[in-house]
Amino acid sequence: MDTTAARFLQDLDGSRRPDLAETTAGTLRLDMRGEGCTDHWYLTVADQHVRVTRSADDADLLVRADRAVFDQLTSGQLHLAEALLRNELTVRGDMALLMLLRRIFPGPADARHPRALGRAALAGQDKAR
Amino acid sequence: MRQEQVHVIAGNVFAISDAQGDMEVDPQAPVGLFSFDTRFLSRWVLTVDGQRLNALSRDDMTYFETRFFLVPGAASHYVDADVSIIRHRSVHDCFHEQITVLNHSPKPADFTVRMEVGADFTDIAEIADFAQPRPRAVRIAADTDRAALVLRYERERFGRVTTVRSTAPAEVDEGGFTFRISVPPEGAWETTLHASMTMQGEGDRDMRADLESHQQVQRRGMADDLTAWLARAPQLVAERAGLEETYQGALAALAALRYEPLAYTDPVPVGGLPWAMGLCGRDSIITCLQSLAFTPELARATLRMLALLQGGQLDDDHDEEPGKILVQLRYGELAAFGERRNALYYGAADTTPLFVVLLDEYERWSGDAELVRELRHPARRALDWIDEYGDMTGDGYVRYQSRNERHGVVNQAWKDSPDAIADAHGRLPAFPRATCEVQGYAYDAKRRGARLARTFWGDHEYADRLDREAAALKERFNRDFWLPHREYYALALDPYGEQVDALASNIGHLLWSGIVADDRAEAIAEHLLGPRLFNGWGVRTFATDQRPYNPVGSHLGAVWPSDNALIAAGLRHYRFDAHAARIAAGIFDMAQTLGGAVPELIAGYERSLTKYPVQLPSAGRPQSWSSGALLMLLGTLLGLRPTGEDLLVNPALPTGFGGVELLDIPGRWGHTDAYAGDRSTHPGARPRTRRRS
Repeated sequence: MDTTAARFLQDLDGSRRPDLAETTAGTLRLDMRGEGCTDHWYLTVADQHVRVTRSADDADLLVRADRAVFDQLTSGQLHLAEALLRNELTVRGDMALLMLLRRIFPGPADARHPRALGRAALAGQDKAR
Repeated sequence: MRQEQVHVIAGNVFAISDAQGDMEVDPQAPVGLFSFDTRFLSRWVLTVDGQRLNALSRDDMTYFETRFFLVPGAASHYVDADVSIIRHRSVHDCFHEQITVLNHSPKPADFTVRMEVGADFTDIAEIADFAQPRPRAVRIAADTDRAALVLRYERERFGRVTTVRSTAPAEVDEGGFTFRISVPPEGAWETTLHASMTMQGEGDRDMRADLESHQQVQRRGMADDLTAWLARAPQLVAERAGLEETYQGALAALAALRYEPLAYTDPVPVGGLPWAMGLCGRDSIITCLQSLAFTPELARATLRMLALLQGGQLDDDHDEEPGKILVQLRYGELAAFGERRNALYYGAADTTPLFVVLLDEYERWSGDAELVRELRHPARRALDWIDEYGDMTGDGYVRYQSRNERHGVVNQAWKDSPDAIADAHGRLPAFPRATCEVQGYAYDAKRRGARLARTFWGDHEYADRLDREAAALKERFNRDFWLPHREYYALALDPYGEQVDALASNIGHLLWSGIVADDRAEAIAEHLLGPRLFNGWGVRTFATDQRPYNPVGSHLGAVWPSDNALIAAGLRHYRFDAHAARIAAGIFDMAQTLGGAVPELIAGYERSLTKYPVQLPSAGRPQSWSSGALLMLLGTLLGLRPTGEDLLVNPALPTGFGGVELLDIPGRWGHTDAYAGDRSTHPGARPRTRRRS
């Protein structure tokens, strides 16, 4: 079964993330709507680190969606930009921070590295010979 | 023949109508009012007493504003009307149309004026694909009390709404507005119809209302904005008749094609009308490279925007990889629901190295070291992408093969039509493919990355590594791509290293990137200007004597101004000044013969055969990189090159071109001027550097 967004964020370790720019800093609050209640997750991004806490404080960017939508984003089944265009996810504040979620959440599990296609092409030729 | 179409544009909002100002669905053409890839008005037809109108004349005032002068009745007979109608249309983020009915008779007159209004909310991608647009259930609310008509389309939480309001009272029904009016003798009646376009966000608000970026955009007057834009650009003084107007037209087209994406405050260039009215990574980067001497503000905004949207994960559907620079950004329904996977699409092998090329070139002109420091991380990731993800077979060449078998782009460089990469006999190579010009870009990116690392990032070790890698790439490329018996570089390599032997314009880009060995440059220059490639207006995309050649094939024979601008710059880079001048002369002849905005491409027919440039229906205009091409060609003729803190001016004009002065060129030197005398009339022009602040 896929990891839920809540589980993923809970388990997110505090190690350095070289894929984030040193100059990027800001706070994001993820509001996950469930049955009758909303969970608030608070992400503080600074210095190539992401710190996750539970807080309903105001943030530079507020991101709201049903819990299921966050789960799909986490598993890579739904692309952030598509969720936004579809209005499944709404944002308020500094949009520039939104794309950070694309780096923080893992992508689709079955994604291939381009080299895999390159290797397949070369192997195909070997077979043909 | 299709009737003339009239457009108004403001960034990614545009309206295309017929010559009377009416808009009616045409399955073959994008007629209507569009914003963010969605058609918000598909029917907009004006009648007076039940009669359609006939255009007497039109005043295209600016790119965002047009006036139609109309009378009722057919065009076939002499019109002696007691009534005439003016439609004054403009767009910025909304669409406005002021309708004035003039009674020219000495008696009061009663009229029934009707505006039919409809919206089908079609995604422009459906029209581009000639697909049957899906039927959409549109809810319509007509409100006579408020003189308003609201058309709404919803699919799950996705919602798009058109609201049309009239300033004058009207009877409103689901099909439009009816005005029963009485106009005094020699008098006038008028109303203004406003159409606003909403992308539904949280609650019922427009999603843009919640974005800081969108709120910061100042609602300056469009006219003031255009005036200021033209005033910031250098002034051209030219002896050649019509050249100044052509130059002004290119600047105005670039102004028209700026928009503010959802996540960003500063305007960036869109691709062009009608199919590419969103951010296109490749077109935007090339446009910025072309226009650095003229409108450098575009480059800064584009670099930051592309960095923001840089790829973050491996994702097959979107051909995304970490560090990759996107090629397409779309907002339509098909993108939203993943039917095209192009909300953010990364299927391009060239955008990522070109991003680094643009960052370096922008700094050379602007001296904006701060941006180079700010974008160090995305630039590093782009450079890493070249070797980690671009080099798919491990042979050191950047390649492409889409991982989205259904909707992915087959050819992921600038020649992106499915049949564009073929050998001289028309055989298509296997994937992943390495086209030659992308290797040039990668070489250039590494060299420029080395300069940035050394000068701004304080990382000499990394700079040395990039320089070594660039030198090795150049050597390898000159060994593996060169066709010794034909004396040009292969168009591409297949995955096994076999050469795709077609002669194509791509070899001109190699000069621009500097990857061509010095002793081979002359052969390349001769091929480019030889009869197989050069058609008199410019360099064809594909040489004539090869099987796939087709003069009307976009990438198999047609001539692209944007392609030619890079080729001419490359020729001057290797000191083939006369060759470059011939290309520039041909493209300017083409632009001035056609008039108006430069099309994206023209047919490859021999100029001496057709005398007139043959336009292709697939060619959009205005197009940002076509308009930018004229600017770059001017810069190439003047030989503008930043050298340290100065601007080097080293003119090489075509014979008979007439003298050219370009005044107030912005850059790290403040503002400076460039003068070029036509050698045929003013011999003895010499290179010089100038600085004036």
